[in-house]
Amino acid sequence: MVLDKKDTRNIWEKIGDYFSANSIWMKWYCTGCGAIEMPPTMTSRFDMERLGMGPMATPRQADVLLITGYLSTKTLRRVIYSYEQMNSPRYIVGFGSCTINGGIYYDSYATINQLDKYLPVDLYIAGCMPRPEAIMNGFAALIEMIKKGEANGWRHYQENYEWYKKNQLESLGEVIINDEFHE
Amino acid sequence: MNLNLIIIITTAVALVAYLVSKVNDKAGAAMTVVGSLFALIAVFLLRDSIGTEITLLYFNFNLTVTGWYFALVMLMAYSMTAFFNPFWMKKLIYPAGYNFLYLLSMAGTLGVFFAKDFITLFVFWETVVWSSAFIIQMGKSRQAAYVYYVISAIGSMATLFAIMFAYGTTGTFVINDAFGGLAAYPGRAIVIFVTFIAAGMAKIGIFPFHVWLPFAHGSAPHTFSPVLSGGLVKMGAFVALLSVTAFPAYKIFGGMASFRGIPLPIYFMMALGAISIVVGTLMAIKQEDAKKLLAYSSVANGGYILIGLLMLDQVGFAGGLMHIVNHAVASAAAFLSIAAVAYRTGTTKMSEMGGMIHRMPITYVVYLIAIISMAGIPPMGGFVSKWLIFQGLADKGLLFIAATAFFGSIGSFLYVFRPLSAVFLGQTFTRDLNKKEVGVFMLFPMVVLTLLSLLTGIFPNIFLRVVTEIQTSLGVLPVTLAENTIVTNNGFLDAFKVFIVFGFGFAIAFVLFIARRKSRRVELMDTYTSAEFIHTRELLHYSHSFYAPFERLYEKAPDTMKLYHKAAVKISEIGNFAEAIFFGIKPARTVLLVMGTVLIGIIAGGVLS
Amino acid sequence: MNAMNFIYAFLMLVFVFIFQTSLTGFNRKVTARLQKRYGARWYQQFLDIFKAMRKDSTTHGWVFDFGVIMALGGIMATVIFIPVAGFRAFPGTDNVFVISYLLAVGMLGMAMSAAGSGNPWASIGVGRALTNMLAYDIPLMIVIFTMIFAFDSASVGELAKMQQGMGILGWNAFRMPLGGIVAVIALMGMLGKKPFDSFIAPAEIASGPMVEYGGKHLGFMFILHEFMTFIEVSLIINLFFGGGATIWEYMLKYAVLYTFTNIVSGVMPRFKIDQAVKYFYRVPLAMAIIQGIVVIFTGLGVTIWF
Ligand code: SF4
Repeated sequence: MVLDKKDTRNIWEKIGDYFSANSIWMKWYCTGCGAIEMPPTMTSRFDMERLGMGPMATPRQADVLLITGYLSTKTLRRVIYSYEQMNSPRYIVGFGSCTINGGIYYDSYATINQLDKYLPVDLYIAGCMPRPEAIMNGFAALIEMIKKGEANGWRHYQENYEWYKKNQLESLGEVIINDEFHE
Repeated sequence: MNLNLIIIITTAVALVAYLVSKVNDKAGAAMTVVGSLFALIAVFLLRDSIGTEITLLYFNFNLTVTGWYFALVMLMAYSMTAFFNPFWMKKLIYPAGYNFLYLLSMAGTLGVFFAKDFITLFVFWETVVWSSAFIIQMGKSRQAAYVYYVISAIGSMATLFAIMFAYGTTGTFVINDAFGGLAAYPGRAIVIFVTFIAAGMAKIGIFPFHVWLPFAHGSAPHTFSPVLSGGLVKMGAFVALLSVTAFPAYKIFGGMASFRGIPLPIYFMMALGAISIVVGTLMAIKQEDAKKLLAYSSVANGGYILIGLLMLDQVGFAGGLMHIVNHAVASAAAFLSIAAVAYRTGTTKMSEMGGMIHRMPITYVVYLIAIISMAGIPPMGGFVSKWLIFQGLADKGLLFIAATAFFGSIGSFLYVFRPLSAVFLGQTFTRDLNKKEVGVFMLFPMVVLTLLSLLTGIFPNIFLRVVTEIQTSLGVLPVTLAENTIVTNNGFLDAFKVFIVFGFGFAIAFVLFIARRKSRRVELMDTYTSAEFIHTRELLHYSHSFYAPFERLYEKAPDTMKLYHKAAVKISEIGNFAEAIFFGIKPARTVLLVMGTVLIGIIAGGVLS
Repeated sequence: MNAMNFIYAFLMLVFVFIFQTSLTGFNRKVTARLQKRYGARWYQQFLDIFKAMRKDSTTHGWVFDFGVIMALGGIMATVIFIPVAGFRAFPGTDNVFVISYLLAVGMLGMAMSAAGSGNPWASIGVGRALTNMLAYDIPLMIVIFTMIFAFDSASVGELAKMQQGMGILGWNAFRMPLGGIVAVIALMGMLGKKPFDSFIAPAEIASGPMVEYGGKHLGFMFILHEFMTFIEVSLIINLFFGGGATIWEYMLKYAVLYTFTNIVSGVMPRFKIDQAVKYFYRVPLAMAIIQGIVVIFTGLGVTIWF
């Protein structure tokens, strides 16, 4: 995406972004290995509540979707569904090399390699798996981005919806569904 | 217009409706609307002639304000429900008979409420019982009519016994005199009190007579349920009222042992009312059929009415009287809205429908207001009457009864919410996606009842003024009313102010809501499912065993109907045994045996003495 | 009833919102300290609410919106009725039954909107919440009933005033000790604190009634929750802990009681809903009835007992 350096937000949007930056509710999609890194980040050792972050139960309530590892095509559908249920402004954080370039599963027939072809990722945290320190650093960076109004993935997704949809369909293929027992 | 004419004309209209229905059943059903509306207006206009007495053939009527009040409630239920009749003609086996009996039972209730002597009371009472029994058996099952009839018959026989016993004791049939003269015979008075009130309790559906309500409602035509619950049940309340006022129970039992100022026989009856609150609530919570659920809620509300009436004091009594109106309005509206839904979907089973709000929004609002009133939540009428009953109970310190009253009132949140969520909210079933709201003719009575619910809640004093008149006419200290306020010993209630403040809060919330950006409308199926794809609407609708964890706690409790069945089996066994002895293989031998025994007895007795 | 009343009422709402939300923030810190964490900023709760109000939202039809408005409206109306240290926006409307049943309007609105979202989790949550209510309300209502009988008044403000000026032992919590314990336990249930929080269990039923809310709807729910907390804690403070002669005394008592429930909640596991019902119908109900019998039949507790 092209980054516009000039700050075009009006005062209300700035205030809004300040609130958004300081109160981030997460919905994590626990695929892959990353889920195990979240509890230490939340509990007393690293305590992410300091940053105003906390877990939420459903995508409707959440602001940021954490993709904690590789995504198989089967789970990608679920992730897209969840993302589309979220209310904007919404952000995506990709964890680990699997979301960046496929990581050690780069040649697997079942996983996707590059998450931002399918969904607008605002921030990647590299590592295999990133440790809580890295995650905390990543979150601090995310907060800065939101504050500055740079985390605009959700706008990008709206504007380039066709492109994302095309990529999504390409990897998912056609699915014929009758009811929840037959896919 | 006097009462005689009203009764004669409604009966005549009933006959005409019968004949017309033979030709065109819809026209006949329209006659029921005309007939009941006529009766409603005519009785309303009788207000000026209250206090007069009148005789029709050998029936004596006495126009009391109590009777007037009850009659209006009853006719309101009848006339509003009548609007539904034309739409149900196709579903009935005997439309002509239905229309006839509908109006006949209505005329009968008038006679009951204005009766001056027992004969009038009893004759008209039986008219109502019989005609309604025939209507009930036009529904799904005959067994319902059986149960209804048997319970009614028990009540009627008990009443007949009480009447005869009272007549034997005091030598008159005039209600007030016959009962008034009992003060000299407290022993007999207890028997008469218990047997007389039995008929009323059977009609209200007080435990242990409550079994008929769910049966009758479960299978009566949908158009008759509102009348049954909103109207006919209140006839029982009338009898209960007679048994504490015409029968001066507090005076007669005054010398007996008492519990917190309530003589034990009356306290015992109140306890039965309390039990029906608990039983009605618990049973209502676990019903799967919306009509049965509402039927059990009538049982619980009947308990409130009975407790209120039996207190016969300044506050609680007024609450009981007012609850009669409130419950009649609310329950008629609730039954009508369920009937409207059933008219479109063809079922009253809660697990077989959902999301009707998107198809029938007005019906939904009607049901919503009705249940708010029924559950006793301000700003609707039910709150005012329950508030009065609570205040009355707190005055006297009737702890145990109050505990059940609270249980019933919180429990009612549970059961009234079930049809709301199962029938109206949640996912719309695929089958119902193209259903439409019912027509104006059916919406009209529902909307009228809804407005009445609001009126009773916001300006309760309009109704309470009549209640104070009743209290004065019965020689009870009337409840104190200021302009918009109801004053009791423990504080006061300004229903109008409550409503205004609620409106204020609502307005703030509304402004806050629309000040923010408009929300994105999404499909009902686009809902959080842990990211699972579900395409079957029916599977995303949670309505079956709604309170399963709670129901589990009392699933082992005995079912009254089963107990009755057991008792019936035992009795028939005894009968079989007797039959086997007397009508065995050789009847002659049995006769000889019996005669021999008797003979020996006689001889032995002679010898011994 | 004139314009002044409404202005007072509005100011009261603003005050209650700021006070209770700050207190919630403070209590988040307390909970964090219990878990040996540093915890969120004290004003975090404000940020959360404003953030939610700022976001876009989704709706599932008119009942989803209407229920939310009705819920917040009903709850705010109830707040207006609560007497705070002798102050009442609308004098003479603080009847205890009015308050406890008007509260139900808000709850009904919330339940309606939640079930209107068409999500089964929401319905399950509402079912649990109502069951929970049936459990805690009966013992509490019995104690309150006893109190009304004993002091011949159902006005919350007057009941509070009657306890003042006699020192700590004049509080109903000490005059009717069993009733006081019941009230605090019931308060835990009312607030949905652990162990009675099964209706919002986030991991089990995806936060129950709240499942479909996002954006301003969720913001409304948070505001509503603050107001509801205020009503419930205030009711107990007024009825059992003597209210407050001054606003500062009131706020202090309030903060202590609320923090106490939070601390208890911090170390508790969670009851299943039927266990909660069983619990309430065993211990607190028995205590409430014993208290009722003692007060009604012996008069102990009406007069102070020393
Ligand atoms: S990046 Fe490494 S740790 Fe993360 S999911 Fe891929 S393989 Fe697992």
